[in-house]
Amino acid sequence: MGVRCIELPGIGTKYELETEKGDRVAIIFMGSRTFQLYVLEKGKASPSAAELTAAEARRLGSLLSGAIIEAEKEAVEIAFSTLSDLRIRVHTYAIRKHLAGKSIAELAVRTKTGATVVAVSRKGKNIINPLPSFTFEDGDIVVAIGDTDQLDEFEHTILGN
Amino acid sequence: MEEIALALFVCLILALVSKRYSLPPIPFYIIAGIAIGKSGLNLVPSDAYSQYLSSLGLIFLLFYVGLEMRPRSLRERGRTILFSGGIDLAVNLLIGFAAAILLGFPLLESFILAAAFYISSSAMAIASLVENRRLILPEAETIVWMMVFEDVLLILLISLFSLQGGNLLTYLLLTIAVLAATVAIVRLLERPIRGILARTDDLPSLLTFTLVISTTYLAKLLKIPEALVAIILGSSLAATSGPALDRLSQPFREVFLVLFFVFFGITIDFSGGFSPVVAAILCLLAIGSKVASGTLVGWGLHGSVLSGIEIGADTLGRGEFSIALVAIFGSATLSATVAILVVVTSLAGSFAARYTDGIKGWVGGREDLPLPVAGAEPE
Repeated sequence: MGVRCIELPGIGTKYELETEKGDRVAIIFMGSRTFQLYVLEKGKASPSAAELTAAEARRLGSLLSGAIIEAEKEAVEIAFSTLSDLRIRVHTYAIRKHLAGKSIAELAVRTKTGATVVAVSRKGKNIINPLPSFTFEDGDIVVAIGDTDQLDEFEHTILGN
Repeated sequence: MEEIALALFVCLILALVSKRYSLPPIPFYIIAGIAIGKSGLNLVPSDAYSQYLSSLGLIFLLFYVGLEMRPRSLRERGRTILFSGGIDLAVNLLIGFAAAILLGFPLLESFILAAAFYISSSAMAIASLVENRRLILPEAETIVWMMVFEDVLLILLISLFSLQGGNLLTYLLLTIAVLAATVAIVRLLERPIRGILARTDDLPSLLTFTLVISTTYLAKLLKIPEALVAIILGSSLAATSGPALDRLSQPFREVFLVLFFVFFGITIDFSGGFSPVVAAILCLLAIGSKVASGTLVGWGLHGSVLSGIEIGADTLGRGEFSIALVAIFGSATLSATVAILVVVTSLAGSFAARYTDGIKGWVGGREDLPLPVAGAEPE
């Protein structure tokens, strides 16, 4: 299943793959941020093609790779389409004064909301997988992981927004 | 001056029409020029202003050819390129030259005509491959690399024709010296050039325009042809900031090239030694010879005559380079003949490329039948 990569001067770069069944698929990256996707069925002389914008190409790529990542400003949602559409959401929140000095265990984040704090960013330094004894400070940015309901609960009960 | 606006406006309308029907725009610009110029309604005269502006089109085109030169990737693909490019060159240059001599052109003009007859339009070949969705086919690779080979030949032909009457040795030494000096200067100024090109204000465009039009000044100073200086400048700047200069010079190139094509049409004079019969014969031969060279290449590289139809159809159109060659070196008669050649072959090529599958089916049996030989199997 080798992919051939061929330079096409004046056009762009072509990536070509011959499938196990003998069909051929090619993707052409054209300079102007557009893509052409070709399929040439085994035994046929003329190909079918579609022209894709950069956004469409990304969408198609994530569909095929099985993980769809949707990015918002403060959150990323990852959907694994092959795992009965498993969706995981990662969200960032700012810690305000009233939580300063309290630890993760003290706030019982996991028990109360189901969400987990997976990272904290403090004054340009990152702490990955903080221990339950980790104490928040004013201005910390926390990264929490969970499903949409769990994160809503986290925002409500813990942060009090 | 105001006539230039009229000429451009006509071109804009025709460009819209050509895009609507996915036809190459170059023949339309030439027809527009002929219609409003000397041989037509005589609405737009050619004067010093328009000549200067259209010469900028030529300089921007050749600067671009230099900018896109890639000697390294050419060398990497050496043998197949030499094969396809060599057949393309030999077949078309010979047929063109023999035809020109037999049709009564003088020796030097026959050479120039043969060169214009040989060189396909890269722009049309590439647009045709993209628009007709042929890029998956192995022939598409052969075609784009044949175009790269033709670009190199264009440079050689321009250097050769520029020689006319001069001393070969002094000319050669001067050209090499200019090339070396330009490369050295560009290397020396690499940092400031990059710095300016990376800015977000109006300076990158200004620098690009100044660099390109400094060609005319350098050419006068060094007494070597503008065409050559433009290519040398382009290729020596390619390593420093090729992509940026390509992007920045694109708007200038597009506008000035349209002016170049339309004023080429405007200055066409059919009243001199132009013969419609000669032009018609040349057009037919030009179509036939590209189909012949395409068939040979297709047969040799892809093991199929049907591939040749693909290659022939996409390389059939003559365009910007043919016009450039006669605009720089040709006489009035030659310009008129090549104008017709470009219009006919580019339109014929565009239709042939669009109906390639039909033509292939007609040649190779039923269209929907699997064609096992059409396209070499990749390893």
